[in-house]
Amino acid sequence: MTLGLAIAIIVTVVGASTPILIAALGELVVEKSGVLNLGVEGMMLVGAIAGFVIVFTTGNHYLAILLAAAAGVAASMIFAFLTLSLSANQTATGLALTIFGTGFSALAGQGYSARPVTLLGPLFPAELATHPVGRVLFGYSALVYFSLIMVFVVWWFLKKTRAGLILRAVGENDQSAHSIGYSVIGVRYAAVAFGGAMAGIAGACFPLLLTPQWAERMTAGRGWIAVALVVFASWKPFRLLAGAYLFGLVMTMELYAKAGGGPLSAIPAELWAAMPYLATVVVLVLISIRRDASSNAPACLSRPFLPSN
Amino acid sequence: MTQYRLEKRREPSRFMLYATPVAAVALTMIIGAIIFSAIGYNGIGAVREIFLTPLTNSFKWQDLGVKAAPLIIIGVGLSIAYRANVWNIGAEGQYIMGGLAATWVALASHGAGGWWTLPVMMLAGIVGGAAYAAIPALLRTRLNVNEILTSLMLTYASVQLIYYLVRAPWKDPMGMGFPQTRRFASEALLPNIIPGTIVHAGVPIAIIVALVAWFIMSRSVFGYQMRVVGAAPHAARYGGFSENKTIWLALLVSGALAGLAGMLEVAGPFQRMVPGFPTNYGFTAIIVAFLGRLNPLGVIFAGIVMAITFVGGEVAQTTIGLPNAATGVFQAMMLFFLLAGDILVRYRLKRVIPQAERPA
Repeated sequence: MTLGLAIAIIVTVVGASTPILIAALGELVVEKSGVLNLGVEGMMLVGAIAGFVIVFTTGNHYLAILLAAAAGVAASMIFAFLTLSLSANQTATGLALTIFGTGFSALAGQGYSARPVTLLGPLFPAELATHPVGRVLFGYSALVYFSLIMVFVVWWFLKKTRAGLILRAVGENDQSAHSIGYSVIGVRYAAVAFGGAMAGIAGACFPLLLTPQWAERMTAGRGWIAVALVVFASWKPFRLLAGAYLFGLVMTMELYAKAGGGPLSAIPAELWAAMPYLATVVVLVLISIRRDASSNAPACLSRPFLPSN
Repeated sequence: MTQYRLEKRREPSRFMLYATPVAAVALTMIIGAIIFSAIGYNGIGAVREIFLTPLTNSFKWQDLGVKAAPLIIIGVGLSIAYRANVWNIGAEGQYIMGGLAATWVALASHGAGGWWTLPVMMLAGIVGGAAYAAIPALLRTRLNVNEILTSLMLTYASVQLIYYLVRAPWKDPMGMGFPQTRRFASEALLPNIIPGTIVHAGVPIAIIVALVAWFIMSRSVFGYQMRVVGAAPHAARYGGFSENKTIWLALLVSGALAGLAGMLEVAGPFQRMVPGFPTNYGFTAIIVAFLGRLNPLGVIFAGIVMAITFVGGEVAQTTIGLPNAATGVFQAMMLFFLLAGDILVRYRLKRVIPQAERPA
């Protein structure tokens, strides 16, 4: 393998991993607060269409990312109201949010398919990325650096800040957090909103970073893979980073297998396309063989909170 | 100022249990009309075309039956699984595998079939769907892997399997390059039960499936076990019901029914396997199961309601130019309202008179 090819592969892997990483970081925080939001895929699609429409009409990528985050928050608030204020079943409501996001994005995206936009360019000046090493370090768009910074931020928030401690307390033991005066519902609303913003941005990665157009269901199950990755990472941000990049690698292999001959192209393209989903199943199996998968899950995950008094 | 407070009911309200699905449909019509007007469509027209035209136009009744049949069959299976607190959300994949297994029988017996072809296809569909659901069941019972994620991931994989089969080994050599199988021989096609319509044998089968499931769920030990394990796992263990056995049964039954629906679709409306076979029935049936209150008889009505929105969505597309995706938004809204209304099953609204306003 030439150096040039190796670098091209690294750059592609990083791109493919970024939306999964962003969405999974959001879901990690949500789950740490004791809420299971299975609507990630739906919120990503809402973010994807919002991001696409804004960049198509204004040409401003950063505004598109911002409003995609806002759209994700708006979608997440439907979930939050139903599950936190009305204590509806979290699993069912999350599924409903995904069905809603799929339908809503298809409706809003009507007439936008096959209309091209420009991808978000690299953050740093091109001169920095001419050397191969420079390209690996400086050749990405802002979304990639955002995802990496957020790995650290989420880790730091959960581990080192008082607010993070409260959030974890709410997720581990909602009744005692409530009894010492913390607003369980308030903390969970905030966590779900953060998850929504991250899912919205993750969705915007599809038209802004990967394929410069809108296509129905263009997230293709990546939101669900993000949910699975949180389990894989046993609710730890840095393990999430490793997991997301592993998946980016699997997806990139599909591209290279289709493009260039060699032994990889003997495998049918459809099997390559199915690989990320099969890999998710395999990863879930491996993680549960290694240990009890639920051992690190927040104790109150997906349990509705009702103050006992 | 009058304030309201939620007060827990001593036991869930049966009235609210059955009133909330009706209220959810009514609210979807009202709020849907408002929202669709607000975003620039003819909102009232949209609601009329989606919810009423399929009922008032008798030409559409056959479409309703044909669309409702797979939704009812899959929805019945999912309602049994959800009753047991087993979250099979991969019914779409099990539907696909049932369709593929039936297709295999139809293609293998092509030209050599007979009266037995359809029963064997039906069996293949049931086995195919159940076998695909057995994977999440095995992983959940042996390794405690979440069935939500595995059943869903397998759905995405099964879609790729269709693409592969119709593009390579099963491709119709006379198909002028289209990625699809040959049209099934006549003995591998579902008979029409009402001449001159598109109503096929799957429609009465759906009703029979729902009635049998209702009888089993309400009258048998099996049904009791599913309900007890779902509602009170600890009590179930005390009562000697195995949780693992329940998980297996829930996934196999719901997978088998989704596979049966797949067989009926491929041998009925489709008449061959095509890349467009994944129709989303497996996902829509999730809404059907909830709207039907996880009760097989309720699922019949919920399946018809959902079929109305599908048929009505197509009507609205041609008559008032409402995009097809609007149907999905209406369906999701219905589920949101239903889940929101659930709180009234367990709680009642109570008027609270604030302290300060209380007469001395």
